Amino acid sequence: MSKESNSMGKTLLDLPANVWRSIFRNSLPSSDRGRAATSFTNFFLHIQPVRVSRQALRPSYTMGLGLISFFLFVILTVTGILLMFYYVPSTTQAYDRMLDLRSAVAFGIILRNMHRWAAHAMVAVVFLHMCRVFLTGSYKPPREFNWLIGVALFLLTLLSSFTGYLLPWDQLAFWAITVGTSIAGYAPFIGKALKFMLLGDATVGQEALLRFYVLHVVVLPLVLTITVAIHFWRIRKDGGLAKPEPKLAPALPAVEVLIAEPAPVLVAASSSAAEGTAPARRFTIQGLVRGPLIQVGKLEEDTVFSWPSLLIAELFVLMLTIAGVLVVSYFFNAPLEQPVNVMHPPNPAKAPWYFLGLQEQVSYSAFWGGIGIPGIELLLLALVPYIDRGKDGVGRWFARQRVLANSVFLFFVFVNIVLIVIGTFFRGANWQFVSPF
Amino acid sequence: MAAAPKTNDPVDQQMPRRQFLSWFSGIALFGSAVAGVFSTFVFLKPRATYGQPNRFSIGRPDEFPPGARLAIDTKRVCIVREGNKIAAISTTCTHLGCIIAPTETGFQCPCHGSQFDVDGNVTGGPAPKPLSWFQVSLTPSGELEVDKDNEIQTGTYLSV
Repeated sequence: MSKESNSMGKTLLDLPANVWRSIFRNSLPSSDRGRAATSFTNFFLHIQPVRVSRQALRPSYTMGLGLISFFLFVILTVTGILLMFYYVPSTTQAYDRMLDLRSAVAFGIILRNMHRWAAHAMVAVVFLHMCRVFLTGSYKPPREFNWLIGVALFLLTLLSSFTGYLLPWDQLAFWAITVGTSIAGYAPFIGKALKFMLLGDATVGQEALLRFYVLHVVVLPLVLTITVAIHFWRIRKDGGLAKPEPKLAPALPAVEVLIAEPAPVLVAASSSAAEGTAPARRFTIQGLVRGPLIQVGKLEEDTVFSWPSLLIAELFVLMLTIAGVLVVSYFFNAPLEQPVNVMHPPNPAKAPWYFLGLQEQVSYSAFWGGIGIPGIELLLLALVPYIDRGKDGVGRWFARQRVLANSVFLFFVFVNIVLIVIGTFFRGANWQFVSPF
Repeated sequence: MAAAPKTNDPVDQQMPRRQFLSWFSGIALFGSAVAGVFSTFVFLKPRATYGQPNRFSIGRPDEFPPGARLAIDTKRVCIVREGNKIAAISTTCTHLGCIIAPTETGFQCPCHGSQFDVDGNVTGGPAPKPLSWFQVSLTPSGELEVDKDNEIQTGTYLSV
């Protein structure tokens, strides 16, 4: 009897520890093997490699731009879901709900500000991330397809931002979307039908508001999330971030991994060629499996364990991103103009800043400015890794071997930025040229 | 060996059952996917819209004195009367759909600076086409009716 109650008591006493250990299989690591196991057995950490190259951690190499984009997307998802609790996608209520956020909703202003500024920031940072990847030649094989995914992510970011632009239902929103969807109407063959289907009506109204809302809060975030997941997965499968060719870097021994028989299928992913049937084969490390099957021999010298090096870097970027968004949201309010007045377009009626280059082009020719030239630019952008087949200069900023590709790219970037600056600052009433000074 | 396969045997020339089945299922699956996507688009394209009707009455002819150029922004038309001739000119910019305003010399768009003369012909800016003219008719009750589905030749007036 007493024996039994003792074991009951022991069970109860051990309960918290047992629950804890069933969730977190490893205690905080103190050895290399522990560090590898920690990354490997945690769902959220296993997305990352066990070891990561020092180059990928260097702030001057990546500037953390991809990570910032992702964290901004997380911030947008969280604040967006919270805002959904108070928003009504109705032409009669949407604007009032914007005012309510200012007056009646706790933290309403800061949430809307965060959502707005993070959205603008995400457009900019995703673009900068693309510039980083181009200027370091990181789209070269085997990363061509991930570049394509990245271009798709850039478009999805623009679309998400654009569909969100209509939701406050103020003058800014209404006329920006009127102009923007008219540009879509100039697409050959399908333009008219596309515009009609997007708006659900001949003009921007209740149907358009509802459609943009559904696209903004369900369709685009869902597609974006799946695409981001593929983007991350491909980074791992393509062997992490792009690095300089081994011959340029100091010579390093490949990682030795001893495999006891029978050889598991698991590590075959990046086997470095046929070294025959020797029990010890050479592999580059993607992940270390615990247990009797795989042992670690020598490790690449320019890599460090993700736990803690990568994790600390990521946390740092996360804090920096959140802090940045919070500070900007604290000092600057998201714009809210007069409620929609269909009779009185503001003069000039301007699209969001990232489309003002497009609007500037459109003021010369609707088809070529709005569809033709952007279409060609996008096609070129998507095909970059399949056009530029040179193998040199990967993994370094402004490599001398890539001076032509980089110059062409920077030329396009420069022209588009100049167009945006003209559209933003130098255009006044009736789209006349004005001086901002 | 002696019984070599007869090349003329119709069974040999037939598609094997497995191949037939995989082709059949492949085509069926692909067809279903195409039909699904197509149906989604059909669903998304509204059959009826909740917006304004394209045919509407604008009042009696004597509400528009001769020489009037009255823009009705809610309907996006400008009613023009010269003498006893009446016409309805679109005030939707042919460039990107902004509402244009009548001016001394014609029409002016606030969005991208397109300019039109009094008949709606482009005189400046990026607008690619002249403004549409809509059919105006007199209903039996004596009211003017504009039909925006019915575009007519520039310069065609209704005499009242």
